Amino acid sequence: MSPGLPSGPDNLTPCGGAIDVDRVSKTFRLPHERRTTLKEYFLHPLRRTHYEEQRALQDVSFRVEPGEFFGIMGPNGSGKSTLLKVTAGIYRHDTGTVRVSGLLSPFIELGVGFNPELTARDNIRINGTLLGLDRRQLGARYDEIVAFSELERFVDQKLKNFSSGMQVRLAYAIAIQVDFDILLLDEVLAVGDESFQQKCSETFTRFRKDGKTIVLVTHNLALIEQFADRALLLLDGHVQALGAPGDVIARYHAQLARPAAGSDAPVIKAAS
Amino acid sequence: MVEATGFLRAPRTRGIRHRLRILQVIVLAEFKLKYAGSALGYVWSVVKPLSLFTVLYLVFGRIFKLGDISEFYGLALLIGIVLFSFFSDATNQGMVALVHRESLLRRLRFPRIIIPTAATLTAAMTFGINLLVVAGFVAWQGIVPRLDWLLLVPLLLELYLFTLGTALILTTLFVSLRDIGQVWELGAQLLFYASPVIYPVTYLPPWARDLAFLFPFTQVLQDVRALVLYEDNSGITVTAPEALGQFGRLLPIAITLVVFTFGLALFKRYEPWFAERT
Repeated sequence: MSPGLPSGPDNLTPCGGAIDVDRVSKTFRLPHERRTTLKEYFLHPLRRTHYEEQRALQDVSFRVEPGEFFGIMGPNGSGKSTLLKVTAGIYRHDTGTVRVSGLLSPFIELGVGFNPELTARDNIRINGTLLGLDRRQLGARYDEIVAFSELERFVDQKLKNFSSGMQVRLAYAIAIQVDFDILLLDEVLAVGDESFQQKCSETFTRFRKDGKTIVLVTHNLALIEQFADRALLLLDGHVQALGAPGDVIARYHAQLARPAAGSDAPVIKAAS
Repeated sequence: MVEATGFLRAPRTRGIRHRLRILQVIVLAEFKLKYAGSALGYVWSVVKPLSLFTVLYLVFGRIFKLGDISEFYGLALLIGIVLFSFFSDATNQGMVALVHRESLLRRLRFPRIIIPTAATLTAAMTFGINLLVVAGFVAWQGIVPRLDWLLLVPLLLELYLFTLGTALILTTLFVSLRDIGQVWELGAQLLFYASPVIYPVTYLPPWARDLAFLFPFTQVLQDVRALVLYEDNSGITVTAPEALGQFGRLLPIAITLVVFTFGLALFKRYEPWFAERT
């Protein structure tokens, strides 16, 4: 991965956040019987571990323009999280290209990887720093993070004593305090309560106004309908539909109504 | 084929200063965590090597009378135990670091090397506290510090580099082969008895002595002992040049650099897949 400005075919604007995913495929190698002990290597030195190839993403292409709110939907196991992780540079894809311009703040798998043994205060410090905040910024934004997550009374408690809803609130509060251009959100609202969902919606509106780029993965189609400029439907690692949220959602509903859908169905491609 | 992938990040996330800041934040939090919640806290970091020292001193120093060799046998033993405890703790904690922090690896993109490095640095902080205790005993013995003790700095750096290199190899292997945990538990124990921690290196037959000095830990240990304890009585303790020839120190130093470079290369080679394989 070479650092520096990406030089896409259309020269992505460096000031706003943009994503260009081009024909990306990703396969996981899952060992059939995980051979992770030496005994197995010694007993069967010649037998190679059998891998099951799980194709998580196949030939996925899409672009997100600067300032766009982009929704991604699809059933469980369709590759949405893998797609976000590949975009965030956490997983390495097998083929294709991923170009990202702008600072990206990921919110993946309900959080930013807290250490359950550490206090909320220490976790804010570690994860904020890992996301790129320096000492001064962290000091200035610490109170805001705590206030947004409404965890003032619990900052010196270990994270393992937090409910999953509290952890998500804290994780989201940290992720949005980074000076990001692109925010990647994976099911941020899944475990939040009503007031937190309300708060999230307010931040979405604010980010849109500020021209931030947002990619939102969710099962909440109403949210996509409300906020997204465009949407993408992922099915078995394929892009099934890409275009206006209303069309893509309609396509998703049609897909759900048809239990055994072939992947050879025509793909809706709406002009962007 | 994977074509060029560009990531434009804020300069400070890539800068060395910010990486050091990340290390500092993680190391301080983990160090605090290690001793928080126990009644004696930091005292435990000193109790462990000191109790091991007491047992070994009574058995080997008194019963087997190794203490008769030199008035400094006890201190030499203590220095050996403290140095080896660091090597053993740092490599063990570095080995499991990636697997223990897998939830972080799967959620954020950052240089993975920070995780095992932070684990070895946390062990280095305990080591620092232990060194203070050693310094106390050295002062108690009436040994006066000299200017050439500054050579301790490059010696300890060499030990750290060797330790970090070993930890990087172990942590990369541990991701896909969990037995490495058992292997290294045994390996570290064998290395402890194979190194001249308890017994003088001169007790070994010449071939074994030369072999022992190829282990960079032995070279560092003997140099530290010679520097701190045996300045006036050269001949009592043997350092690498006496065993391996005039430039004998270069050999273990070269091995240190090879282990570190290999560990770094191995780690970098598998870094892109740590997130999905831990």
